[in-house]
Amino acid sequence: MLDWIKNINKEHPDFWKDYLTKFETKPNRFVVLSTETSGLNPNKDVILSLGAFSVVDDSVIIKDSFESVLLQYKFLEDNGLSNEFIIESKMIKMEEPKAIEAFINFLGNSVLVGHHINFDVEMINSALERLDCGRLKNEALDVDMMYRKLMDINDKQFSLDDLCDIYKIPRSDRNSSSEDAYRISLLFLKLKSRLGIK
Amino acid sequence: MNTIAEHIADFLKEYQPFKNLTFQELSDIATNIRVINLEKHAVLFQNNDILHDSFYVVASGVINLTTIADAEETIINKCHEGDIFGLRPFFAKNNYMMTAKAREESIVYAIPIAVFRPFVANNSDVLNFLLESFATNSRHTKDSVSSNGKLISDTSFYVDQQSEMQYIQSLTYNNSPLKTEAHHIVKDVAILMTEAMVDNIVVCEKNHPIGIVTDADLSSKIATGRYPITETIDKIMSSPVVTVLENVSLAEAQLLMLKYNVTHLCVTKDGTSKSAVKGIISEHDLIVAQASNPGVLIKEIKRSQIPKDLKQIRDRLSDLIQNSIQKNIPISHVSNIASEINLAIIKRSVELSILDLGSPPARFAWLSIGSQGRKEQLLLTDQDSILIFEDVTPEKYRDVKDYFLRLAKRTTAILEKVGYELCPNGHMGSNMLWCKSLTDWTKQYNSWMNTPGENSNDLSSIFFDYEIVFGEPKIEEAIENVIFKNAVNNTLFFDFLGNDALKKNSPLSFFKKFLVEEDGPHKGKFDIKTRALMPLIDGARLLILNSNIKGIQNTYLRFKQLAITDSKNAEIYLSCAEAFLILSKFRTVEGLKNDDSGQFINLREMSKNDKEKMKNALTPMKDLEELIKNKFQLTQFS
Repeated sequence: MLDWIKNINKEHPDFWKDYLTKFETKPNRFVVLSTETSGLNPNKDVILSLGAFSVVDDSVIIKDSFESVLLQYKFLEDNGLSNEFIIESKMIKMEEPKAIEAFINFLGNSVLVGHHINFDVEMINSALERLDCGRLKNEALDVDMMYRKLMDINDKQFSLDDLCDIYKIPRSDRNSSSEDAYRISLLFLKLKSRLGIK
Repeated sequence: MNTIAEHIADFLKEYQPFKNLTFQELSDIATNIRVINLEKHAVLFQNNDILHDSFYVVASGVINLTTIADAEETIINKCHEGDIFGLRPFFAKNNYMMTAKAREESIVYAIPIAVFRPFVANNSDVLNFLLESFATNSRHTKDSVSSNGKLISDTSFYVDQQSEMQYIQSLTYNNSPLKTEAHHIVKDVAILMTEAMVDNIVVCEKNHPIGIVTDADLSSKIATGRYPITETIDKIMSSPVVTVLENVSLAEAQLLMLKYNVTHLCVTKDGTSKSAVKGIISEHDLIVAQASNPGVLIKEIKRSQIPKDLKQIRDRLSDLIQNSIQKNIPISHVSNIASEINLAIIKRSVELSILDLGSPPARFAWLSIGSQGRKEQLLLTDQDSILIFEDVTPEKYRDVKDYFLRLAKRTTAILEKVGYELCPNGHMGSNMLWCKSLTDWTKQYNSWMNTPGENSNDLSSIFFDYEIVFGEPKIEEAIENVIFKNAVNNTLFFDFLGNDALKKNSPLSFFKKFLVEEDGPHKGKFDIKTRALMPLIDGARLLILNSNIKGIQNTYLRFKQLAITDSKNAEIYLSCAEAFLILSKFRTVEGLKNDDSGQFINLREMSKNDKEKMKNALTPMKDLEELIKNKFQLTQFS
């Protein structure tokens, strides 16, 4: 509690100040995002990659996207994991502070969309905390919740694969946060038109 | 570089025109794509909408392109995975001329025109493909359809059947035109033309056309004294010449003449004035070509005296059908024209028989039944017909029946000579059983409909599709009344027909594989007639009889009509109507290929794409089956 008082005098980095000013206007786009993490604990685990697409006017804008592998040296060393994948991958690589900064700039005031988005938001929030920033202020939509609302189901959760099967979105054999973000984008478009969200 | 853009590039490179681009170029394009999801029936753009800044590629699902003409929505084309559409912004400034609507939930990629234009400018293959796709009636249609069938036309406007048929008519023209060179003297050239009795001469330079001299030039420039008769020919020739490709269609030739206000077109090897002269098309050639349009064919039929003439006309009809199918003319139009011509042939055959036998002793009606009765006969299939004559006094009955039997025998024999095989089941007016008086026919229909399956195992549903070919229309009306009177609340009859319709074998196995013939001469082939077309035909007939709608004999129109009367199932009916056309087309194409009735389709020779299209067309059958089961309370085992 009263965390915000602790932060009130703390000097935030510039990008964060920028980010906060963006909320003076109304959001005009959605950003569908997905994270790949080392585990499920927001306090201990870290984000390994980020993928996101923007959705404007009922269409996914491929150009307006974000994709990055986060170089988590500490994590990799601690766990004795090989970083071969990271070296092989053609994706853009950034260190966590840089990646998060770029991602926050990409997000702006957009409405966030994800699958079980609360977890993604928590992961990003802990990364932000390490950079002396506040918490994400964006509105967030969860495709699972949207689906359950559409179908009026309360007692069950649906995995991304379940939802993709229901809406016949092909699964991809390659698994990455970008890939997931794209699938969520398609799901979101479908759910959005069915729920009549503007 | 983003992963998804790469996936999209991967997808695009499988299809025209993207095949012609490098992966790097495709990735650049893919990066700029917008991905759009369309719910079923969602409209992407409609007639008269302002042009979008993108064109579209179907990523999954099916998009229907339609136009509205005469208050009816006509499907011009269906775009499947990988097809491109909405090319109008590339070539025209005015609004869309068609509607793009999702037939099922679909995902499309929107490619911005601005991004794609440079690739079009730099790559002639891409440009050509887009132009071909855009033009409905361009001369390229034929070759491109056979190469991959991926063309989606964009400039469609509705034209009536008559003129639509013109597009497929080829021209015959003078292919050894008179040629001269620029330095020849007018007088010599004129003598040459007079000797050859032609009104034009092409002026060439190294066999490339540089101008043309016609009678009009001679009269306006020489006879008026503006130029002396000793002038060289290049002074008075009209130049440049309008040149065309060899296989130009009638309609296009007409268009060019009007556009350039000329009376002659010069045919060259590659369609430009920089290649060898192949011939000259004159206005007169157009008039001759117009003479072989369907209307004229029918007139010719009416005048022909012997079966051989009729056979020739029927052969020409086959060419006409083949051409129009290759040129993607809607199959409903083609079959309309074909059935009119078939009708005229049968009618003429009856007339010829009457001319031989003397006038009939009583009024009668010759009805076509089965496929010709439904106006769906595109290929030479067997003939099915019945003959009904009016009631006569008992003492005259024998003679009258005798006359009509002879008449029917003669007619069927003529038709056999024309190329229509005799019906193997004997469903013809020449059969004692099917040449009867009106009273007998009324009794026949009564017993078929009220006690189906009891004492008349030979109830064949084809007797419920009929069309009068010759004779007294009142007789047809009388029979129709009998049928519809009996149909009211006749559960037994509908039960019988329903089971008959459902007992046909299903076309696809549980695993969505085509069920093919297991043995016999057609082993390994797919029986499209009994497995795919018949269930639709039977279903349509059953439902239309049940809803008491008279006068519609065509399966396609029946489904359309049902969609109007039974609007809550409209969707099923419309997709059935569509499926019927697609399947008929497959059958016709196969039939033309093998010169038979097209009943068995050789799946091995089909492209994967076509197979998918055919499978898609089979899906509405399940819905129709369910609908019939529910409506008539049938179960599979009743």
